Amino acid sequence: MTDRNDAHPSDLAGAYALHALDAQDTAAFEAHLIESERARIEAAELNDTAVALGLAVAPVQPSASLKVNLMALLASTPQLPPVPAPRAVGTTDAPGAAPAVPPVAITTAPTATGGSTAGTTPVNRSTNMPASVAAAADIASVDTAPFGTGANRPAMGIHAAEPSGAERSSATERAQVRWFKRPVQFMLAAAAAAALFVGGTFLGQALNADPFEAQQASALAQINAADDSQRAATTTADGQEATLVWSNKLAISAVLVDNLPVLGGDQDYQLWYINAAGAVSAGTFDSSGDGTAWRVLDGTMHAGDQVGVTVEPNGGSDQPTSSPIVAFQS
Amino acid sequence: MLDLMTVDSAGDISPAAPATKEELLGRVAHGDQSAFGELYDQIAPRVLGLVKRLLVDHAQSEEVTQEIFLEVWQSASRYEPTRGGASTWILTMAHRRAVDRIRSSQAGRDRDAKIGIRDLAVAYDHVVETVEVRIEHERVEKAMTRLTQLQRQAVSLAYYGGFSHSEVAEMLHIPLGTVKTRLRDGLIRLRDELGVAS
Repeated sequence: MTDRNDAHPSDLAGAYALHALDAQDTAAFEAHLIESERARIEAAELNDTAVALGLAVAPVQPSASLKVNLMALLASTPQLPPVPAPRAVGTTDAPGAAPAVPPVAITTAPTATGGSTAGTTPVNRSTNMPASVAAAADIASVDTAPFGTGANRPAMGIHAAEPSGAERSSATERAQVRWFKRPVQFMLAAAAAAALFVGGTFLGQALNADPFEAQQASALAQINAADDSQRAATTTADGQEATLVWSNKLAISAVLVDNLPVLGGDQDYQLWYINAAGAVSAGTFDSSGDGTAWRVLDGTMHAGDQVGVTVEPNGGSDQPTSSPIVAFQS
Repeated sequence: MLDLMTVDSAGDISPAAPATKEELLGRVAHGDQSAFGELYDQIAPRVLGLVKRLLVDHAQSEEVTQEIFLEVWQSASRYEPTRGGASTWILTMAHRRAVDRIRSSQAGRDRDAKIGIRDLAVAYDHVVETVEVRIEHERVEKAMTRLTQLQRQAVSLAYYGGFSHSEVAEMLHIPLGTVKTRLRDGLIRLRDELGVAS
């Protein structure tokens, strides 16, 4: 059985369960699954076995901000309707007996995979767009980048019903797709809010397919859209314009600095929430040297907190090791 | 921090737990945000633990964990309890996402082979785990000892290291066909040792 070179698809069962196949082999094996009930049962069992390996790993407590971010994103993140369209997802839904299949089907082509770079093209296209209505319109055409979980594979469940929804910006077409309406509007709002503050540089960053940046963009938009949004402007020690925007209600804030100098690879800018209890790290960031560097702070802001930025060794420090280059009083 | 972890993970088996993960996921499918929050509290440390095992970098692991939970939110309606537990569904998704991140980033390619190949035991050195996690860990560790050394290496590199089968072949200097066989035979052996059957 195994000496038939690479030809026997059932040989791939182990690698498939371990997510060790490339896209081509995955497709070949899934085709095999459709044909063979026995293969589906084995795939399900080996998938459960792989999960047992996962459950043996020590848990790691996430930062509090992760949940805050997630909960904030739910309202603007579309959910799939209960029943998938069987025709469109036939290849992934058919081998239904295998528990392995649903998650695999959905995650086959996330925006981050190398294979899906085509999907980022419209995103990158926007990088140099000035902040304007034009840029906002472009966002509408790439709304799946932050929210979709893989728009680029035809066989994939989530977008199968509207495979090119991300590509075409026909309003009618998008309107038909219920669960895309809100994200589009949301991103438009995000773009509009962002444009007010930082212009093109921001858009270049916000439209990157990186979910972290998308999340950052969403959070910044939320701050700007909050009914108690506030801002404080000052200058850094070197005279760059710096702005803090925050919402006490949302308990988050963001720092934006113009033309913040580039640091060496061994250093990072680090953000701090400072109050009577001391300084708490709120994340690190770096700057390209021109345009506006910005970051939504990790963690929870308390009303009256000071926000500071220091230069720290790469990766950040537990406590500030240098004087702040800028500090704000919220 | 460690205390928190213990409390949180203990929630998995607490008799006072009001809802199972499967029930919570069912409510999430209907847009119930508080159910999502509860589900997150129950399983996020598991997800982040696994993702971080593969990606090592904490910040990046949190990013990927966020993606995973957004996907849970988006696709909860596709979860079918008859096909397996909610943890299985979510951890499968988590592993897939972590692997995708590795394949898509240069950082992933620069990782050292030892990330995958190091013993499970090493990763456990300084961990305060719950009884549940400890039992599961010991069960898997014991099952792993039933594999041949080469099966164990291949499975560990693929699952805990996130390496593709061709990368595993390169690292272990063995033909691709042999890796496929080892991965499959190794997992089948583990399946039998762990008593996984559908």
